[in-house]
Amino acid sequence: MAQIKKSPKMYDAIIVGSGAGGGMAAYVLTQAGAKCLMLEAGGWYDTAKQSKMFEWNYQAPHRGAVAPNTTFGYFDASVDGWHVPGEPYLNAPGTDWRWFRSRMLGGRTNHWGRISLRMGPYDFKPYSRDGKGFDWPITYEDIAPYYDKTEELIGVFGSIEHVENTPDGKFQPPPKPRCYELLVQQACRKLDITCIPSRFSILTRPLNGRPACHYCSECGRSCGTSSNFSSPTVLLPPAMKTGNLEIRCDAMAREILVGRDGLATGVSYIDKKTRQEVQVRGKVVVVAASSCETARLLLNSRSPQYPDGLANSSGVVGRYLMDTVGADGTTGFFPVLMDLPPHNDDGTGGFHLYMPWWNYGKQFRHELPFSRGYHIEMGGGRHMPGLGIFSDSQRYLGGGYGMDLKRGCRKLYGAFIGFSSRGEMIPNDQSYCEIDRNVVDQWGIPVLKFHFKWTDDEILQARHARETFREIIETAGGEVVSTAGAKENWGISQGGAIIHEVGTVRMGADRSTSPLNSHGQAWDCKNLFVTDGAPFVSNADKNPTLTILALAWRTSEYIRDQINKRNV
Amino acid sequence: MGDDRNTNHEGKLKRRDMLKAITAVPAAAFIPLGSAIAAERQTSKRAAETRTVAGGYHLKALTEHEYETVKVLSDWIIPADERSGSASQAGVPQFIDDWLNFQGGDLRAEIRGGLMWLDVECKYQFGHEFAGCAQAEQKKILDRIAYPEKASPEDSNYVAFFNQLRALVVEGFFSSEMGVKDLPFLGNKVVADWEGCPENVLVQINKNLKDKGVGLSLQAPEES
Repeated sequence: MAQIKKSPKMYDAIIVGSGAGGGMAAYVLTQAGAKCLMLEAGGWYDTAKQSKMFEWNYQAPHRGAVAPNTTFGYFDASVDGWHVPGEPYLNAPGTDWRWFRSRMLGGRTNHWGRISLRMGPYDFKPYSRDGKGFDWPITYEDIAPYYDKTEELIGVFGSIEHVENTPDGKFQPPPKPRCYELLVQQACRKLDITCIPSRFSILTRPLNGRPACHYCSECGRSCGTSSNFSSPTVLLPPAMKTGNLEIRCDAMAREILVGRDGLATGVSYIDKKTRQEVQVRGKVVVVAASSCETARLLLNSRSPQYPDGLANSSGVVGRYLMDTVGADGTTGFFPVLMDLPPHNDDGTGGFHLYMPWWNYGKQFRHELPFSRGYHIEMGGGRHMPGLGIFSDSQRYLGGGYGMDLKRGCRKLYGAFIGFSSRGEMIPNDQSYCEIDRNVVDQWGIPVLKFHFKWTDDEILQARHARETFREIIETAGGEVVSTAGAKENWGISQGGAIIHEVGTVRMGADRSTSPLNSHGQAWDCKNLFVTDGAPFVSNADKNPTLTILALAWRTSEYIRDQINKRNV
Repeated sequence: MGDDRNTNHEGKLKRRDMLKAITAVPAAAFIPLGSAIAAERQTSKRAAETRTVAGGYHLKALTEHEYETVKVLSDWIIPADERSGSASQAGVPQFIDDWLNFQGGDLRAEIRGGLMWLDVECKYQFGHEFAGCAQAEQKKILDRIAYPEKASPEDSNYVAFFNQLRALVVEGFFSSEMGVKDLPFLGNKVVADWEGCPENVLVQINKNLKDKGVGLSLQAPEES
């Protein structure tokens, strides 16, 4: 029988998770003098040393193709992904949820897209605005100072644009648009679609000892010069420098321990290397294991005081699961981009221009059949050649072989652009995660079972996106090469596929309908806090990570104040 | 953020240091590749058979004869010209053999089956397997299956095979070191100052827009 190891040391805070929320909690709390222990389920990861930027596809096995533990390909900076060996999850009948887990220091901040968009005032009070979904217990004004501080710490590029519900930030200068992006921008202008410089946590100016980007466009391979944001690059080093942070990797949290008074006393975890259970004690427990893992941990922390799971007197833990609505894979072919003088289209690791939602007014007046908006992203041009290059060549070259084919491919290079939408999902009662009572993972921890459903509000949003992509492509003199139609529900993403899951331990003003208060503090257990995406009340058309960071900063300052006042 | 000149200067210094560090990267990059290939050799079911072709490459999915046929076909599909070599010179047959082994299943069957059909058909038509036929004979059979819109409906299976093979040769060639330089792809390197769209490319796109009657015109973005 496994020994339970108890450690006598009492930390000020135990932080479960080393990603955006956990990293930010460590950053703020260690600076305030709190002794913190961070538990990370994955292994150590050195973002600079383990970067694979500057390698070529032809240097990798099978041109860098997808392999079992590198979900987005050989070069992608993620360990595990849709499948974590020994750690299954289930889908209820009729549900097709995909769940991405990066078991590594820094979690998904290592391979994420770096798209850094502030939520806007409408996004915090959607119910007040149109009667759907729920209002956050905080306003944009409450979080704005934390967006400011976060952007100044991590470095975000962008431009001041004054677009409705698309707040501007503390920006470094944005990189100039690529040639093909200028073409799309002109088409958008003709269609009255807003098209402005994008906002990414990629440095265009040096910041805090980190050099600016060198425009190799391979952010997803982890950055060897620390020029983009990930938790181990930006948050953990200063936290560790204080001397107040201990990080334990390969530590799978299994339960939050509580005392007879109902307060959290610490965390029980499995040391993956020794398969031994270890208990650590803390005055405060901060959970940032990613939204679904956080819900899972709370639900699995049952005790006489918390028969339905820790902090779950409302019964809402696990509920109101949301992902971003995605419509991907509409590609256009643009004859005007054929046979251009060779040039470098790399730039930063993402789009330099994007289209924030431009239809707030129309939607508010009920002139659209869906209630929430989306932004548009694009990618194309002279990519690094890899698998699938010229897969559309046949259509334009009539097949063939020989010099006609070789010359034809050269002409086509760089003439394709793909479009994607990222939109808001309204929380619904059929989308949630719960503990499955039959299955445990290899650490003995009961697994999650997912329930997920899109409604017409999301599906018709995807339709609108497909129609808009077509309009943009054709206005630019192009032709739609591939897209999705009604039969496929407009190619709406599978739940979880956009990897923006939020909402499972939401905050609210009413403890009977929300596990957390507006400080990210559990109503039922005042020394328990959540700082990842789980506290979200809505999932706007703004990628969640920047808000996770800002909210985590705000919550962590509250924790610091509560510790100083001896309230926790 | 302070004086622009100062931050640029600091940035450039750091980039020079970075360039020194980066020249060390390519050597290190080969280490994971080497061990990956070694691992594949160990686990390959055909490791015991030493099917080797010219250059010492150990075959994984194809027989020597199939490999030779793929080589000939690859060079028909992407021949050498003044700008770059042929597909076989770029290592495409090896890429295809490795890829068929990696993917296995239906793709491997489709390609090997297509190669077999090709040999049988050529024996009937010309008295030799494909690789042993004269150039004019090879061209004749390729013309039958290389143009989907012109091909006879009875040849549809073989058109599909050739479509698949062509796709493999094209992606194998243009993603190879030779192919990358051919296009050319000019990225995957350090760029100290990103300049956006070069003036001459903008001018060309505007000319194309005008020539094709697309009612748009690009402007260079204002200096920030």
